[in-house]
Amino acid sequence: MGRNVRLRLESRIVYVDLVHEMTEGLARRMGFAKPMALNIGLAVREAVINAIKHGNGMDASKRIEVSFEQDDGLFRVRVRDQGPGFDWTHTSNPLDRENIFRTSGRGIFFMKHFVDRVEFQRRRGQGTEVVLEKKFEQAGRAGRGGEVIKRRKG
Amino acid sequence: MKANARHHGKVTVVDLSGKITIGEGDIKLRQAVNSILDEGRKNVILNLGGVSYMDSAGIGELVACYKRAREKGAALKLLNPNGKVQDLLILTKLQEIFDIYRDEREALASF
Repeated sequence: MGRNVRLRLESRIVYVDLVHEMTEGLARRMGFAKPMALNIGLAVREAVINAIKHGNGMDASKRIEVSFEQDDGLFRVRVRDQGPGFDWTHTSNPLDRENIFRTSGRGIFFMKHFVDRVEFQRRRGQGTEVVLEKKFEQAGRAGRGGEVIKRRKG
Repeated sequence: MKANARHHGKVTVVDLSGKITIGEGDIKLRQAVNSILDEGRKNVILNLGGVSYMDSAGIGELVACYKRAREKGAALKLLNPNGKVQDLLILTKLQEIFDIYRDEREALASF
């Protein structure tokens, strides 16, 4: 694949599957094993759901932008919305006893569990960007990015 | 996601397959369980053996089904979560909340 792929979509839940499948497919082409590609897909899926629901408030006229980058041993995905922003700093821990029975509030928890790094950035007047990164861990199976890591470790 | 209900005496087993995710799977799961509870049935087993994965919305709906069942004086148990679904139940600590079975006969006999 090329080094960068970018999608620009209306804020519609029907596109969540599309982004998930594309993420998994790209991760597989980069050399991630199937279970790990699914994990990355699930993390990006949650970021896209957040962007549509909480970022853009389900307003289909607002866009979400998803970009995929392979960068020096990393698979990086950026998910941007055009909303007023949401407060990601006050998310409760879904594992706390009082939250176990909550029917929502696990999206960011899933993102953080399934990839190595999740970073939220508020873009002044332009919405929120979530950056998700997953390192190539198995050099032998990771394609070009993995070779970079192998060389550095070697 | 597909949901097919079958009755074994007082117990209803719902065979679920596909993925339980936002926008379709979560809604179908809600409809399937609501329909069973509305019929007044009190013993429900969700057979997750054919479910490949869930997202946060799917997990949330599973919890909502559990709570609705309890509110109606019914019990909802899980059968055969595999692979990623089992991982997610462990990750979210929901395996401590749900009664989970590997064997259908054992699940049926548990009510």
